[in-house]
Amino acid sequence: MGNSKHLGLILLAPAGVFVILFFLAPVVLTAIFGFTNMSTATGISGGAYVVNESTMRALGERFGERELAGRLLRKSYVIDEAGLQAARESGAEQATIEELREKYLGRNFESRRQIERLLKKLDNRPASIRAIKKIAASFERSVVNIRFDSPEELVAAIEGYGIVLSDAQRQALADVSYTGWVFTTQNFKTMMELPDTWRTMANTLFYVFSTLILFNTGFALVLAILTHYMPEGPAGFFRSVWLLPRITPPVLYVLMWKWLAWDNGFLSRMLEPLGIAPRNWLLDTPANAWTFVILINGFVGASMGMLIFSSAIKAIPQPLFHASEVDGASRWQQIRHIILPQLRWPILFITSYQTLSLLTSFEYILLATDGGPGGATEVWALAAYKKALSNYGGALQYGYGAAMSLVLVVIGVVLSLIYLRLFNFKALTESPKIEQ
Amino acid sequence: MRILLENFTKKFGDLTVIDNMNLEVRDGEMLALLGGSGCGKSTTLFAICGIHRIDGGRILFGDRDVTHTTSQERNVGVVFQSFALYPHMTVEQNIGFPLRLRKEPKEQIARKVGEMAEMVHIEELLQRRPGELSGGQQQRVALARALIRRPSVLLLDEPLANLDAALRLEMRSEIRRIQQETGITAILVTHDQVEAMSMADRIAIMDAGKILQIAEPREMYENPVSDYVARFLGSPPISFLEGRIEDSAFVEPSTGTRIPVDPEIAASHAGRAVRLGIRPEHFQPDGEVPIPGRISFIEIQGRETLFDVELPDGTVIRSIQSANEEARVGQEVCWGINAKKIMIFDENGLKI
Amino acid sequence: MSENYRKWPMVLFLGVLTTPLILMYVYLFVDTVTNTPPGAILPNEFTLEHWRFLHENLPGRPSIWLATWNTFMFATVTTLIVLAVSSAAGYSLSRLQLPARSFFLGGILVLHAFPTVTLLIAIFLILQMLGLYNTLIGVILVKISLELPFGIWIMKGFYDTVPWEIEMAGIQDGATRFQVWRILVLPQVKPAILALGIISFLAGWSEFILPLVLAPGNDVQVLSVYLAALIADDNNFDMNLFKSVGLFYVLPVIVLFVFFQNKLMNIYSGGTKG
Repeated sequence: MGNSKHLGLILLAPAGVFVILFFLAPVVLTAIFGFTNMSTATGISGGAYVVNESTMRALGERFGERELAGRLLRKSYVIDEAGLQAARESGAEQATIEELREKYLGRNFESRRQIERLLKKLDNRPASIRAIKKIAASFERSVVNIRFDSPEELVAAIEGYGIVLSDAQRQALADVSYTGWVFTTQNFKTMMELPDTWRTMANTLFYVFSTLILFNTGFALVLAILTHYMPEGPAGFFRSVWLLPRITPPVLYVLMWKWLAWDNGFLSRMLEPLGIAPRNWLLDTPANAWTFVILINGFVGASMGMLIFSSAIKAIPQPLFHASEVDGASRWQQIRHIILPQLRWPILFITSYQTLSLLTSFEYILLATDGGPGGATEVWALAAYKKALSNYGGALQYGYGAAMSLVLVVIGVVLSLIYLRLFNFKALTESPKIEQ
Repeated sequence: MRILLENFTKKFGDLTVIDNMNLEVRDGEMLALLGGSGCGKSTTLFAICGIHRIDGGRILFGDRDVTHTTSQERNVGVVFQSFALYPHMTVEQNIGFPLRLRKEPKEQIARKVGEMAEMVHIEELLQRRPGELSGGQQQRVALARALIRRPSVLLLDEPLANLDAALRLEMRSEIRRIQQETGITAILVTHDQVEAMSMADRIAIMDAGKILQIAEPREMYENPVSDYVARFLGSPPISFLEGRIEDSAFVEPSTGTRIPVDPEIAASHAGRAVRLGIRPEHFQPDGEVPIPGRISFIEIQGRETLFDVELPDGTVIRSIQSANEEARVGQEVCWGINAKKIMIFDENGLKI
Repeated sequence: MSENYRKWPMVLFLGVLTTPLILMYVYLFVDTVTNTPPGAILPNEFTLEHWRFLHENLPGRPSIWLATWNTFMFATVTTLIVLAVSSAAGYSLSRLQLPARSFFLGGILVLHAFPTVTLLIAIFLILQMLGLYNTLIGVILVKISLELPFGIWIMKGFYDTVPWEIEMAGIQDGATRFQVWRILVLPQVKPAILALGIISFLAGWSEFILPLVLAPGNDVQVLSVYLAALIADDNNFDMNLFKSVGLFYVLPVIVLFVFFQNKLMNIYSGGTKG
């Protein structure tokens, strides 16, 4: 391992495997899935060709083959070796079986009554009506709900029951009976057409920019500057307290807000003596819901900016502060002329990175309002998640959800590349100093 | 062991830093690579120890061509400017590390580390960690670690730059002592001419990737090949006067002073513009060729005093004298230049 | 800091702003061991009944100890693998000659800033296809992959601060690059490994969306999903019970936070995940 080129690749390889498998592959697959109609109905593996109520309805509606559809859904009866075998196993007399094989092998019947009539007429007639029904069942054939891997197999099975199909019928059958997913651009058309889409987008923009401006940068700046003008003790205390929301697991953190906001909660109890009726502040009106969504996310987001801004302020040389004070600067002037200019890059940095993470975060909203009331706080990432992965009806639209995610993926990649340029990538990639 | 660089070339990307350099380090000598920052001296050092690949030429250790061998196989001891001790290991572990990598038996390592510690005078520090040592002690540990596996050559990269003034003086002689005791071939990379002059057997002075001159310190001081070399050696530095050769003498234009020069030079450069170099110790109140000027600056250095004398056109000549208490700033003086000690350089800066 | 400005208005002002947050956390502790009469603000009796989940299974929920074990495994295995993989890859990117090195670096940086939750749907389907859906292994693999870009970037940053001369000295002493890394460089970045370990453990311990989507089954349930399911169950609404489970869940986090607060602050301010 003297050669560092090989060692470098070896050391990088495990990370590469993980990242490719669960990071890059998902990116690519999101793009692919976004152009499919994949859902719980289609399944996620390759599809099959199935005759069932819904495919046959489609056959009738799309191709006018109502009669064929009806026939395929009905059971038919065929006297063949497999059926004879089944009949023997169900207890039919050997003589009955022999007679059926000799005289009627290969005959088709369109209904149970027809085959039962035949059985009654046999020389070796089964002893009881029950036996007749049992033997008749052995010859029952149906394509309904059987999964065929190819349209040819389906057609062969159908023709085996004596149903002759025209070429047009075969084509139509192959079209409608396929239950797997197919490639389509329908997702994006639907997205453009649905009014929900635009509302969700507006919600997302409102959520991202208000949280970003009010808390992730605004309040973070306030925290950083206030703690800067404090003795070390209280400053450390406040920084720790404001770090708590970030390290508290989201489920518990949101629970604490629910305790504050629900109709028997702390807020309601505090406000009751003032004549304000108890209510679930988290979900009673869109305005209140938004207030809490922004507060919940903002309290978490503020800590990040607070820490980065604080360390940037700490990096300002002390003499600069002393000099400005000797020059007679007020506190506000000191903030305005000494601190803020130094924070330009950190603010840009926080703004860019947190835009991206707010844009795609939905964990806290999911836990707090789940997009409610009535979709008022539904943001894009949450909508995508719900479409594809969480739906009370159980019909999950993977394809549509992936298409929605793809929009975020594209925005994410574009913004990331812009940040790379912005934050001087060249400086980070100085080449190694040992050339072996 | 003799070290030889033949047509050594080094590029960083498109930039050729060292072009076709030849250098011989004789067996057992200490050679100083002297030059300002960016002159290529560190690049040369990194090429010799194998940290940098070279883009052309050969490197020979004795008769062995090591151009394409890795650092690990070259057996070169290096003392880095920052000493580069391993912070998480004790002094003993630091010094023994090269032997541990060679899987030598523990007792043998302990014995060799003991001997080495004795030689560099740090026996009582073996159990400490680098963070608990002074700069000079760290330097000794670094030397011991570099020397313990008997390297073919010892490379010293600015070994004194991280020490304070008093320690620097002490370690200068210590490094020289240890090098002479072990008889190892050593290369000293430094930007400090005093270090180079006081420690090395020979000095190779470098500029812009080229060796300008290789010589013993005294020879180089007295007989530099160019005004660049002359300026680099000596503290306080040499002074220069611009003028012409006329009638077998150098004529200083602003005062008209005539300083006699070697007849051969006078003949070959008659009427040409030249530059005259004079070291401060050769410009004294009792010097033979007086030149009028005004004292513009006095720096008292204790035993000696340094004077700047400004000529009418603003040129400054430095003089260093012991105990001259009469002279004052602003005073007009007429001190003399020792004509036997002057150096004449042509318009390209080369010594004539 | 300077003595020229009064400090107490700052402390007072921020104190007022911080009160709601402090109240929430104080009541988190208080409510787990007390009962409060309806409509009152202050509790009136001490009780341990809210901690009954420790010895009996709550309706419809698996054992809390199983969930705790799952959470511990999830967080620990994730942490160990993230540490091993990112300390190797970070070194490679920081110090070694690599073909397409700047491509890798740029890639890591883009992934680092990349919104990973957007990939949830594709990951869900991949795990389904691999047969790893509803297994702890599957969700661990995913969590590791999503944490790696951050881990590698942090480790690379710390390796960048190790002096080159240490490595050069190691090479001159006869060590291979691998030995240099293992014997000489790794010990220098111990603080980084500790910090990254804590961050990864906390991230694993708190993770909610991934287990919710990828491993929701009772056998593999982690505490976050357990607690969320408990809260979502409308038939058994009991805020004090929820808080007790929550406090039980958050205890390791609080312990780590108290002990390693400064380390956490340093690395969070160096990181970029929001």
